[in-house]
Amino acid sequence: MKNRIRVLRAEREMTQEQLAELVGVTRNTIISIEKDKYCPSLKLGYRIARIFGVGIDDVFTYEEDKDGPSTDDG
Amino acid sequence: MKRLTYLTCTLIVACMVAAMVGWSMAAGNFLIPVIAIPLGIIVILACRAQVDIVIADEREKRIRSKAALRTLEVVVIAGAIAAIILYSYVVSVPLAPIITGKLFLNDDGTQSMTIAEYKPGSVPGPQTLVRSTTIRNLNAMNESEAMTYCTYVREGFLENENRGLAGMTIGCILVILLATFGAFYLYYDRKY
Repeated sequence: MKNRIRVLRAEREMTQEQLAELVGVTRNTIISIEKDKYCPSLKLGYRIARIFGVGIDDVFTYEEDKDGPSTDDG
Repeated sequence: MKRLTYLTCTLIVACMVAAMVGWSMAAGNFLIPVIAIPLGIIVILACRAQVDIVIADEREKRIRSKAALRTLEVVVIAGAIAAIILYSYVVSVPLAPIITGKLFLNDDGTQSMTIAEYKPGSVPGPQTLVRSTTIRNLNAMNESEAMTYCTYVREGFLENENRGLAGMTIGCILVILLATFGAFYLYYDRKY
């Protein structure tokens, strides 16, 4: 799962701390999501998209693994 | 209140409650735990209400659940191996100490007996001897000799029995752990 959170944040001059506070998670979670190490829940995904005022598709892009659909929950 | 402050407060309260409960048990005052434990919980909840930052979010919860599951897997496997190894000391003949008793006919016509304990799984001999005792007159043994006779075999196997007890304890803890996990699994399976 790829995401554009870092880009969207930079466009709005928003820090990771501010975004974390707005969506109600820790800064570590935002860092992990930005690094594609953690796949957020649908609920958190929607919350992030709503903060940026865009659709969830504009924030997250699903990419299938080479071996097929990913089964790991992050 | 910051996360670290909250965790420090929780730790201090937990230590104080544990100390009070321990002291009250030793003193035979059973009223203190009834007051101290709910009071401790109230203080911790009050501290938690003062925390102005996110303590645990969905990532934290997922990490905790995965860590808990991995811990359970590792503990159950390692514990099962340890329990079997420890319990085998009780049921396995090669792991048990070798205890022999030899009767001797004394010059005065009385019988004496030498009891010897050898290392587990060894061939009885001077090099493998752990300890030995002799009852000089088997038919007129004194109190001390009688006690030695009674406790010798028991003491020889005591170390193995202790290991077996530890193995059984670990086994019981694992069963309780798995039963608790199973109960929660069924609960959440119905819930979601």
